[in-house]
Amino acid sequence: MKASIKSVLLGGLASLVLASTALPALSQQKTLKFVSWQKDERGVGDWWASVIKEFEAKNPNVKIEWTKVERGAYADTMTTLFAGGKPPEIVHLASFEFQKFADQGWLEDLSPYVKSSGLNLDGWAGQSACQWKGKPVCVMLLYFGNIFAYNEEMLKKEGISPPKNWAEYIAAARKLTKDTNGDGIPDQFGTGHETKGGGGQYLSELMNYTLDAGGRWTDANGKVTINTPQMVEGLSRWKEVVKNSLTPRDLSAGETRQMFADGRIAMKLDGPWLYPIILRGKAKDQIKIAAPPFNPPLGGSSNILGMASEIPADSKKLVWDFITIATSDKFQSDFATLANSTPPSPRAKTDGAKGATPHFDILVQTAQAASKAGVDRIPKGLEIQYNEFAKMIMEESQRMIIQDLDPKAVAATMQAKAEAIQKQ
Amino acid sequence: MAGGRFSLDLARPSRQHWLGYILLAPAVLLIAAIIVYPLIVSVDLSFQNVGIARLDQPRRPFTTANYERLFTSPDFWNACWVTLKLIVVVTSACFILGLGTALLVNNRFKGRSVARLLVAMPWAVPEVIAVVIFAWIFDSSFGLMNWVFLSLGLIDKTINWFSDPDAAFAVVATTMIWKGYPFVSIMSLAGLQSIPEDYYAAARVDGASALQRLRYITLPCLMPVIGVTTVLVMLWIFRDFSIIYVLTGGGPLKATQTLSIMTYEQAFSFFRMGYASAIGVVTLVICVIAAKLTMRRAPDNL
Repeated sequence: MKASIKSVLLGGLASLVLASTALPALSQQKTLKFVSWQKDERGVGDWWASVIKEFEAKNPNVKIEWTKVERGAYADTMTTLFAGGKPPEIVHLASFEFQKFADQGWLEDLSPYVKSSGLNLDGWAGQSACQWKGKPVCVMLLYFGNIFAYNEEMLKKEGISPPKNWAEYIAAARKLTKDTNGDGIPDQFGTGHETKGGGGQYLSELMNYTLDAGGRWTDANGKVTINTPQMVEGLSRWKEVVKNSLTPRDLSAGETRQMFADGRIAMKLDGPWLYPIILRGKAKDQIKIAAPPFNPPLGGSSNILGMASEIPADSKKLVWDFITIATSDKFQSDFATLANSTPPSPRAKTDGAKGATPHFDILVQTAQAASKAGVDRIPKGLEIQYNEFAKMIMEESQRMIIQDLDPKAVAATMQAKAEAIQKQ
Repeated sequence: MAGGRFSLDLARPSRQHWLGYILLAPAVLLIAAIIVYPLIVSVDLSFQNVGIARLDQPRRPFTTANYERLFTSPDFWNACWVTLKLIVVVTSACFILGLGTALLVNNRFKGRSVARLLVAMPWAVPEVIAVVIFAWIFDSSFGLMNWVFLSLGLIDKTINWFSDPDAAFAVVATTMIWKGYPFVSIMSLAGLQSIPEDYYAAARVDGASALQRLRYITLPCLMPVIGVTTVLVMLWIFRDFSIIYVLTGGGPLKATQTLSIMTYEQAFSFFRMGYASAIGVVTLVICVIAAKLTMRRAPDNL
């Protein structure tokens, strides 16, 4: 009996000791919130997971709470989180939306951290876009150049070689758009663009043609330059493609990519993210990737990593540790392999990427070509008004197609409206 | 009981109503917290020039600029017109279909329970799922509707349902009607079942035809139900967001941009929360006036 009382007492004591040592450990457990739309994306999602794993291994008392928010609801979710005073500590935003957050003072100035850690951002692709009011408020995660993917079998069937310029491209698109089953409804398309959805994607799709025609939304000083012969030519090309239904109408970008991957669209101009979708498609063995037939190719900054400004100092230190891991040479090299994309770091080793991404050289080549030509999807001088500008361009382009308007008149209207938006 | 001490004797007849207030207080406080407070904040924001609103920021100077801009904006009047068109088209169609199906399933016939279930089914389908179904039906390239119309020889080339302003409006209205008519049907069916059978028996004895029984018994007896249902359907159309947003996003060329879509766009796409609040406040005022008018007039006039 005595022995059993003793064992109970000892057991109780041991439990107390364990509890007293475990409780402080539990109380020291810290959580950093990280919201992203890329969580389930094959490739880049895996890369994020590897960064988180490394961070948690280095900081055993810190857990990253990684939450997915759909891209369509991303801006309003993040706005609500920041406005409600509960922002995620690690901030992931698209490069066309971070400016609004930076303008509110919600993103931390990273210059002291960059300076103290010695992070070298020289030659970091797209990093200049992260400057807000003269200070770096983010690190660019991707600067890309568009690729040109085509269904070799469909082109061969029509006796077409991969196009090298606009004239060849439009001729091929016309020849490849057809009704294959004779039900009166075209079911094979020369090319594929999103024509339904948000203004940002619409703008990107349209820019493939305006850039090749030599048009720019604004000049280097941010002055609106839409009412030019080059831009009129670009708009005419867009009208020709969409009005003649050489692209399936009213589809989202995701649906268009899937149709291409399944062999219903012959040619597709898109970013590096198209490749993982191709690999899952029915026509993956028929698809080849080349440099776009347009010059310069569409390219630009994609998404950024930053730090919320209104968080405690110890959290800021941890967030910087996270950014340091993501921007390290090792993880930048892994970015090329896992995410099938060009890493922004000039020090990243991309030799291994060719195994996972056979067209990796083309990605590098087009990103460099876009960068050299100073191409970005976000027009200079319209960063803050980007959403409104993109919506306006989409509506005026739709009006041009629906009401069969002269592109010259449309360019003049766009110019006036863009100037009004810029003045707000 | 000592005279100076507070006591609340709820058993006293003069204080019995206090119990009601006490029981209601938690609900009232909750409603105040989740409805009235945001409403006050929204009205307050509508009189400020605010980009992204934060409650911990100092109040901006009072201005009526948001309302001045709103009432001179063609986009606002367009959104009002689109909302009005949707209300008229969707409410009318919902009533014709809802009342028709309610009259049908109110009769006794074999399989009535299944018929009632089928009539009510669209109401149970989540809005986003309904939208996905209709987006596929009306897909411009691979949708069912184009194939049916072409097969029947009604059209000679495919309709771009979401690139044509009139077609896009028709798609949105059709989806809303499909989603909304079962509610009218269920409410009407409940109303029909409360009409005493004696009325119809007496009318039959007097030689009233089926149409006369509908005109002089069914519809007058259903008026209270129809009045309330009209208000509820109207308010649903006013506030509905997901159907339009997922199907068309308000486009093309703002052909389906209602006041609720415009409010969302201004707040979360263009980050003009003061202006968006002004649209929200005006929408609320319109809703209150419309509801008041409908509730007051419908039962008496029809």
